[in-house]
Amino acid sequence: MAGLFEADIENRGLVLDPRTKLFVMITLAVFALGGAGGDTAAVRCGTTAVSVLPLILLLTAGKFGKAAVFGISYALIKYAEIFLVPDLTGAALSVIGLLCLIFVRLMPGLIMGAYMLSSTTVSEFIAAMSRMHVPQQITIPMSVMFRFFPTVLEEFSSVGTAMKMRDIRIGGKNAGKFIEYRLVPLMVCSVNIGSELSAAALTRGLGAKVRRTNICRIGFHFQDIAVIIPTAMLYLLWILGMIGVVK
Amino acid sequence: MKGKDLINIGIFSAIYFVIVFIVAMLGMIPVFLPLLSVLVPLIGGIVFMLFLTRVKKFGMIWIMSSIMGIMMLLTGMSWPPLAISVVSGLIAELVYRSGNYQSASKAVLTNGVFSLWVAGNYLPLFFDAESYWASRQNYGQDYIDAVTKLMPAWMCPVTFIAAFVCGIIGGLIGRRLMKKHFEKAGIV
Repeated sequence: MAGLFEADIENRGLVLDPRTKLFVMITLAVFALGGAGGDTAAVRCGTTAVSVLPLILLLTAGKFGKAAVFGISYALIKYAEIFLVPDLTGAALSVIGLLCLIFVRLMPGLIMGAYMLSSTTVSEFIAAMSRMHVPQQITIPMSVMFRFFPTVLEEFSSVGTAMKMRDIRIGGKNAGKFIEYRLVPLMVCSVNIGSELSAAALTRGLGAKVRRTNICRIGFHFQDIAVIIPTAMLYLLWILGMIGVVK
Repeated sequence: MKGKDLINIGIFSAIYFVIVFIVAMLGMIPVFLPLLSVLVPLIGGIVFMLFLTRVKKFGMIWIMSSIMGIMMLLTGMSWPPLAISVVSGLIAELVYRSGNYQSASKAVLTNGVFSLWVAGNYLPLFFDAESYWASRQNYGQDYIDAVTKLMPAWMCPVTFIAAFVCGIIGGLIGRRLMKKHFEKAGIV
């Protein structure tokens, strides 16, 4: 699970600018989740097409397993939405209908999020944030947070192992104490590691009143344009739909 | 605010988000999805109460709340949670400030207000439902009725109230655990 928040720098295939990923993310949030332009058929088709984009991006990043799992589950839900739901009645309709309603809208964004977290290094992220003039008050906590995720997850699994030895687990004898006995040690460990990390970061000059430099070279390349153009087309279709050019 | 405070925000945001993330995994089971506005404030409250003992300067709660909103945007929950979290974070900040950053009862109330961002995650599923239905008329009235029955509009305020109330309960639990464990361990 620790791999979820850590970017694998060695083999991540095609590198996109973090801002491109953010743009695709926001577009998916507006169209797939927010349902903008849902009354225009062209925008609906376009949204479905752009919803497949994160899957392609996962493939270009070499995350074949993840792409397969997400792709199959998205295809199943989309299939159910198109072919199964219109024929259903009663309780089956309620359950499957609700499932489709929620996940057809959520999944594209979630896949994009998974791609973003697994393909962006903290350094690149910070570089992109500072290019977009996001203040230090946001970027410092966020960089510390991303640095700290793997540590917390590691501690979480160690605490889990220790508690399993005492039969404190879901379904075990002491299930009632589960939350307390796993959370409290996790927090005590993490806070102590955190204060060491904070001392280390301060000696390295984090929080000093100078402009920080960054070694990462980010910028827009051919692959960024190839991603941005189809995504931006969706906004164009939306506008055309609103003024009534396309239906 | 100095570097150390900003780092503290980062550390607690990480612990809080990991816990939220693990709890939110339950939301993949559809029945648990509405329940997240109950579970997240309850369990997250324990972490947040410990964070509040480190808050001594204006802005720390506000930044943490905004970061939760940004994380929701990055993990695919759209912009409404960010909009909510920026506002509710500021209110939470003002509530805790009115107790001079040390009042214990204000801290519990702060957790209630802070937890409102969780309910913001449901907003995209409620608002703009009409245009969503407009595009799916061919499914028949049965389908539309069934789903609107399961996710009626009044559920929207209910999730906010649930988040607030459970945030207060979570805060009380957090305070109890803090007395029981963290003061003994010397990290409060």
